[in-house]
Amino acid sequence: MLLRVSSEIEGAPADVRAIREDAAAAGSGVPHAAELLAFAEAVLGDDDAVLDVARKDLLEAVGSEAFVDAAGVVGNFQRMVRIADGTGIPLDAPMKVMSESLRKEIGVGEFASAANTQPLGAVGRRIAKALAPLTAPIFRLVGGRYGGRAD
Amino acid sequence: MSTDPAAGLVSFEGAAVPVRDEMRAAHAGFWERLAGPGSWWTGAERVAIAAETRAARDCALCAERREALSPNAVQGEHDRPAAAPSRLPAAAVEAVHRITTDATRLGESFVSGLAAEGVDDGRYVELLGIVVAVTSTDFVCRGLGAPLHPLPAPVAGEPSGYRPAEARPGDAFVPMIPSSAIGPNERDLWQGTTGNVIRAMSLVPDAVRDLKLLSAAHYLPTAQVVDATCRRTLSRPQTELVAGRVSALNECFY
Repeated sequence: MLLRVSSEIEGAPADVRAIREDAAAAGSGVPHAAELLAFAEAVLGDDDAVLDVARKDLLEAVGSEAFVDAAGVVGNFQRMVRIADGTGIPLDAPMKVMSESLRKEIGVGEFASAANTQPLGAVGRRIAKALAPLTAPIFRLVGGRYGGRAD
Repeated sequence: MSTDPAAGLVSFEGAAVPVRDEMRAAHAGFWERLAGPGSWWTGAERVAIAAETRAARDCALCAERREALSPNAVQGEHDRPAAAPSRLPAAAVEAVHRITTDATRLGESFVSGLAAEGVDDGRYVELLGIVVAVTSTDFVCRGLGAPLHPLPAPVAGEPSGYRPAEARPGDAFVPMIPSSAIGPNERDLWQGTTGNVIRAMSLVPDAVRDLKLLSAAHYLPTAQVVDATCRRTLSRPQTELVAGRVSALNECFY
């Protein structure tokens, strides 16, 4: 969801299928998508030689500070996914409505942990469809409430 | 100069590039907390959970289970760490391995079943918090090309037994503090309302504090995540593309 919203805000909507499909990454509209994805895959993989190459390629593409950012993001989401799946939390209600079409587009409903979130009912699906074009502005409005403000 | 012994274990020596101080401080901060007693586990047990997390990544049984239609279809012994400062209950070992290698197929029956074997909901959430924090820091090190931080020596002491009074069962496997009912001892966790992923480990508030510390250093402060204009050097779409791919590789729906 944040890929779609942030890329729309930047004026270059990304092809969100790139999250799961390398073929979509090249035309995703995200700069250096191939190097970023190769790096993410390699960090999670077990071939150190592949990781060495991916690391070098990404570093050349984005520079050292952004490279550290990328390593941080990989580590961060290795954590977040396990928190979500380890506690069985469902999608937050607003996110469930707003991400309905996106979830279908990238096919995450096939994951086992999708069972932790009840599917939208008929009314919810109609609301989701009506709101789809307004996702970015709505997300910005609703999102402010959902981050907390403790930092 | 820090006198914290954990800080000396967090060096990032060998990393491909210089690492920002914020990340170094966050890792050292978690490492210091890892060594000491928590809410439900002693320092020795917490460090043993960390060692078990690392061993799970190369566990042959876990690899075989991941390929099976059901993890319960494959029985055997887990590959264990060569050394650990404490002996963990078998249920804790099983939980660490499942969270580390096959989290997407965890279910409520598995988590609730742990209680009868000595790992109740508080112990489970604290264990989860350690597993995910160690996983996070280790994968950052791997990405950067730095060796994993050596595990700290445990610090003696008894667990606090602290359980927030506001936590209650809901629509997750474990009780959580309701978004709008946070108590006085947890005011630092969030203000107003927050998302389920921040509340998920609130049965053990220090686990949420670790999450916030590491998230701020690795990604963005939790309060800024939903503001899609917030970023570091990577653009936000680049950041979210990496986040999305890592989540997809883990088959995470959330």
